[in-house]
Amino acid sequence: MQIILPDRSTRQLDCGTLPIEEILHRFGINPVSVIVTRNGRLVPETAYAEEDDEIRIIRVAHGG
Amino acid sequence: MLTPDSRDVRCTSTPCSEPAVIRLRDSGQYLCSTHCIRHVENLFSRTVEDQRMIAPGDRIAVALSGGKDSTALLLLLHAALPAWPGVTLIAVTVDEGIAGYRDETIGAAVELTVRLGVEHHIVSFASLFGGDLDVLLKGRESRSCTVCGILRRRALATAARQAGATRIAIGHNLDDEAQTVLMNLLRGDFPHLVQDAASGEPECFIPRIKPLAWLSEREIVTYLILTGNYRELPECPYTGFALRSEVRAMLTGLEFRHPGTMKNLIRSRDTIRQHTPRASGVGSVQRCRECGEHCSGEICQVCRILGRPG
Repeated sequence: MQIILPDRSTRQLDCGTLPIEEILHRFGINPVSVIVTRNGRLVPETAYAEEDDEIRIIRVAHGG
Repeated sequence: MLTPDSRDVRCTSTPCSEPAVIRLRDSGQYLCSTHCIRHVENLFSRTVEDQRMIAPGDRIAVALSGGKDSTALLLLLHAALPAWPGVTLIAVTVDEGIAGYRDETIGAAVELTVRLGVEHHIVSFASLFGGDLDVLLKGRESRSCTVCGILRRRALATAARQAGATRIAIGHNLDDEAQTVLMNLLRGDFPHLVQDAASGEPECFIPRIKPLAWLSEREIVTYLILTGNYRELPECPYTGFALRSEVRAMLTGLEFRHPGTMKNLIRSRDTIRQHTPRASGVGSVQRCRECGEHCSGEICQVCRILGRPG
């Protein structure tokens, strides 16, 4: 699956099906500080992601 | 392989089985897009009503940076206007003069006020204080948020007063409020911990209301995305210098492991406020010897920052 990180860089993850919370954990991201879309749709971090999905992580904590 | 439908977590509102877009970590609720929007609007309305933030005939100056929180604040206040007789809104944007950052957010603020038909005032540090923040901060970048905050509060109050506002609405959210409580505790700043700017005391200050104080950053960003009002904007380049970023990281960690931590911090502050005599907060108010503005000492903080002679 393709992961788009908050800084807009992308990573490829080959790991089968797993909860989005686990993906965040692997990238050292606290779920409280982000929201996530799966294939363009907002989903809770407890939703699952699969091989063909595009997961986008948007940081909500913002200075300014 | 799972089908997309079976993978979706469902909204736990009754009766509803739409796909959830957010989990509220402290209550454990899952909300679909319709119920998430309703939840944000209800929490906003309840905060305004419970704390009697708005009175008939009020002229509310909304502090509009153009960022996510102030955008949500203006949208929610504007949508609620028909329910408040005689209440009017204006938006005030402060241009601190931060290169590579502020131009884009001001553009977003202008677009929003034009779309909503809200009167918009823009004031700048350059016109009020004789220089952009970038210039005023030279050599004291580590105090950037403190300096900027003091000057921005003065700019906002000046613009609101000139526009005849009776309230100033600020887009501080739950995360901001919890961070502020913890920062005041860490600094040992008891007067600011118990000071309630919404009370309108001392009388010389325009009351500052915070209708988003019980909404988390996640709820606000989700609301903006769901209503088609989210846009990615640059981050303030001075953010990394601030104590606030350390406190933010600490609190999001605590909130993850112990959901409800941020709300509990605010409740604790409110309890302390209730048990604290009003005089323990701000000191006696007098006029600054240099600029004549209200302040608690002989020279106000703005004049000290600007290096005006004391």
